[in-house]
Amino acid sequence: MFALALRLARTRLTASLAVLVAVLGGAAIVTGTGVLAESGLRSHLPVDRLAGAEVVVSADQTVQPSADLAVALPERGSVPAALADELAQLPGVQSVVPDVSFPAAVLDPAGDVVATTDPVTAGHGWSSVGLLDDPAVTGTPPTGPREVAVDTEMAAAAGVAPGDPVRVVLAGRTSDARVTAVVPAGAGVLVADDRAAQLAGQAGTVDLIGLQVDGDAEAVADAVGPLLPAGTIVSTGDARGDVALPEAAAARSLLVVLAGSLMGVPLLIVGFVVAGALAVSIGGQRRELALLRAVGTTPRQLRRLVAGQATVVAAVALVPGIAVGYLLAGQFRRLLVHVGVLPDALPLTVGPLPALAAAALLLGVVQVAARGAAWRTSREPVTQLLADSRTGPRTPSPGRHRAGLLLIAAAVPLSVPPLLVQSPIGAASTSLAGIVAAIGLALAGPLLLRRVTGGLARRLPAGTSAPAWLAVANLHGYALRSAGAVTTLAMAVVVALTYTFAQTTVIDATAEQTRAGTVADATITAPGLGGIPAGLVDDVQAVPGVEAVAPVSSTTVLWPMRLLGEEELSAGPALVLPPAGAGVLDLDVRDGDLADLTGATVAVGSGAAGARDVGVGDQVQLTLGDGAAVEARVVAVYGRELGFGSVVLSADLAAGHTTGGLADSLLVRTDGDPATDRALAGLTDRPGVTVSGGGVAGDRPAAPPEVWINLAVIGVLLGYLLLGIANALVAATAQRRGEIATLRLTGTTPRQVRTMMRREAALVSGAAVAAGVLVSAVPLALLGLGFLDRPWPSGPGWLLPATALVVIGIAFLAIELPTRSALRSPPADALASQG
Amino acid sequence: MSTALAPATTAAVALRQVTKTHPHGVRALDDVTVEVPRGSFLAVMGPSGSGKSTLLQVAAGLDTPTSGEVLLDGTAIGGLDETRRTELRRDRIGFVFQAYNLLPALTVAENITLPLRLAGKSLDRAWVQYLVDRVGLGDRLDHRPAELSGGQQQRAAIARALVARPAVVFADEPTGALDLHSAAEVLDLLRDLVDDLGQTVVLVTHDPAAAARAHRALVMADGRVVDTLDHPAAADLAGRLVALREG
Repeated sequence: MFALALRLARTRLTASLAVLVAVLGGAAIVTGTGVLAESGLRSHLPVDRLAGAEVVVSADQTVQPSADLAVALPERGSVPAALADELAQLPGVQSVVPDVSFPAAVLDPAGDVVATTDPVTAGHGWSSVGLLDDPAVTGTPPTGPREVAVDTEMAAAAGVAPGDPVRVVLAGRTSDARVTAVVPAGAGVLVADDRAAQLAGQAGTVDLIGLQVDGDAEAVADAVGPLLPAGTIVSTGDARGDVALPEAAAARSLLVVLAGSLMGVPLLIVGFVVAGALAVSIGGQRRELALLRAVGTTPRQLRRLVAGQATVVAAVALVPGIAVGYLLAGQFRRLLVHVGVLPDALPLTVGPLPALAAAALLLGVVQVAARGAAWRTSREPVTQLLADSRTGPRTPSPGRHRAGLLLIAAAVPLSVPPLLVQSPIGAASTSLAGIVAAIGLALAGPLLLRRVTGGLARRLPAGTSAPAWLAVANLHGYALRSAGAVTTLAMAVVVALTYTFAQTTVIDATAEQTRAGTVADATITAPGLGGIPAGLVDDVQAVPGVEAVAPVSSTTVLWPMRLLGEEELSAGPALVLPPAGAGVLDLDVRDGDLADLTGATVAVGSGAAGARDVGVGDQVQLTLGDGAAVEARVVAVYGRELGFGSVVLSADLAAGHTTGGLADSLLVRTDGDPATDRALAGLTDRPGVTVSGGGVAGDRPAAPPEVWINLAVIGVLLGYLLLGIANALVAATAQRRGEIATLRLTGTTPRQVRTMMRREAALVSGAAVAAGVLVSAVPLALLGLGFLDRPWPSGPGWLLPATALVVIGIAFLAIELPTRSALRSPPADALASQG
Repeated sequence: MSTALAPATTAAVALRQVTKTHPHGVRALDDVTVEVPRGSFLAVMGPSGSGKSTLLQVAAGLDTPTSGEVLLDGTAIGGLDETRRTELRRDRIGFVFQAYNLLPALTVAENITLPLRLAGKSLDRAWVQYLVDRVGLGDRLDHRPAELSGGQQQRAAIARALVARPAVVFADEPTGALDLHSAAEVLDLLRDLVDDLGQTVVLVTHDPAAAARAHRALVMADGRVVDTLDHPAAADLAGRLVALREG
């Protein structure tokens, strides 16, 4: 059976090639996504600064929802300092190093900030040298408030050596100090331990405790476990890298979320392309299959044969496809690092699991699709089959038609979420609705096309040329085959339109809300210092012409929601705003007042509030970015949720729960006088301070990163989809050699054949563009209404014409080239080789 | 029914010293000279590989001879390009094949009138009606080929071959896929067309019973015409073929 399958696959080379390419691309996409998912679960950041401590005790930076993946928290949590003494008593523990961190920066002699990777946590106590792998220290420990130690990188950049004076900015305060020691790279800025605790603002708690042990680290870790209070974890080996930088570790879990959200649509498309290629390939073998049935192959054996043949081809494609997938994942990681959602230090985990998953998944799809495509041929009476295989067209089944119409109808409720939830998740359902409708179109296509072309054939004017008339007759007669081409091309149109517009609409709507909601006209930041330095608010306030100023930060909040009886827990961005924030941001407050943001209070977006049925005056339970569970009173409900996030925390509530503790930026509203702007610009002579026009709340980008990632993904997907379509179309056209030969024997000139095929290409691509636009119209209209209050989406105007051009170009090329090749051989030979 | 044909002075088809050598060096036709007079019914017989199908393809302008001359209705087809040869075929030749080769997407009526449509000729309704009645498909015009029996499909193919009033109809094993009864019907139809309309027909077959309906039969072997029989009887033809096989 296997040898027979192999031989059949070889005789239909073009069609096998289409299946091969479809599986190859599919394997690449699935493997790539799988690598991202596995990395999200298993990759570790480099241990770096904690390499010298074999065992690390830290706060548990994850929240574990009842039945879902753990959510990683980005803000540094803390552990009781007293724990250190207890741990020191354990057998095998050589020394105990408690560590705290605070924002720190070093200025060079010109007064400019020396760049470091993470200024927010660059400051530590002197004892943290004990955490380093290589405690090579030049100099003496800093003591007292005027002494610091700096790492070699900083020392080199600032041009200082032990004994030199240096200006430092510690926890937002600039001071003059003396360098007492130079410590290994990555150690940051070190001060005396008691002063470090002061600067970190932590009394009785530390960020983490490093243990240097004799012998087996695992054994010590096991002994540490029972001593730990709740919410504290012990890490050894590579896992220590994750606790060093919670923010970076939290970004890692984004990979899992991303892979999950990526999986749905690409899987649908992979299935669609593979099934399409197999349908063409098996359609072209109907005569052989009918003959096999005639000589006694049972329906079951025939399906096994067809599935076996497809599996042979798929197996050949899997190996390169999986290899490409690993490369694709690497490219994707670079993109994620580039858009700033993934730390560069995080490597990908390259294991065999994604390859196995891709192989299993695609072989499964191929088996199901091949058996499905061969189902009818395997079940029909042999006599019927032999008659059919000679004469070609089959009538589309009405059941399939009805299922298709149902799917198209089902796309309408699927398009509704953007009206209810103005978030990227709401917008994602737009592309899903479009694709579901396009699959419905693929099912209902043959009968629809038969009706449309039937009407067209009747209305053709009497003087229509023979090629044009033949083109319409072919589309009508071969409705099943032609609809395959029309609907796959329509799928490309739908994916291009809904996927792209869903992203661009979110981007534009977010930008519009941010713009409309920001009444500040200047933003002050100090990224090199780890945050806005102390006293700057008062200085800005004192500038004549400044009407309002407010420090703004962004953090992460978990706000549980009951969805369908299950607790949904996902981390969302949140603004941190003092009462003065009302003067610089207009969040479109619907109820309550932002000026009441004092104490344990929050303001919430109307959508999020509605979904949880809370209003002004209600108490809500939140988990802050460091894992602290808090209860807060809602003091305002606002409308501009897309631009500013679903939750605004009062500065009082967030205090002590953000890493570093300094505000990200100052938003300033002025009287608009150029003199005021000049005065504000004058603030930039302070080290590390930058002033920019306009206001950007916190460091929030114009749109969530997943939106940009989705846009990149669509490029890969569309390329794959179009390649699959072009291949299937070439294979389908190549199977028409017999038909073309018959036409030529009947007296059709090669020129007339070419004209006929071009007319068909025009009709097919025209129908595809029209159907694609029609099917996308409802989801896109609802998307526009939901996000922009108008029944059309926002995005590049060239998208539709460009998509139409590509679809038309592919249809023409994929039909023209095989036609030319078919015309090259003498018609009698072509017929003879058909058998 | 007027079926004005060209003057009988020139043959409908003439092959003069035609040789056809295939790329692998096989000589499919070896110095063949054949003339098919207008209004005659010629059968070409021979075992497989004797060159009878090549003869048909070369004579019909589907293939070009390696050397020699082919005249179709007085026009030399050597030196014509594929498009000109297609047009010549469309105007002067009708084909009937073993596998019918009707276009599945078209109805019977559309298949029959396709050659006229392709040539951009106007439809002679009376002629089409005559043909349709003659082949007995008057009630099947809106059906698709798949809905017809083999004999009916072949009769539709014969009507299609005749619709452009060709100088000659080439039939390549037209009964090869038919049962005895349908085959007899098709052969009778071909002979009647010759007798009633003066249509020239060239029939390629391996079946002596089919060849026996012709005015003249050529027997081919190894690319050459080895025998010519006028008003052949099936038994004679069968004898010749058996002799060829044994010789």
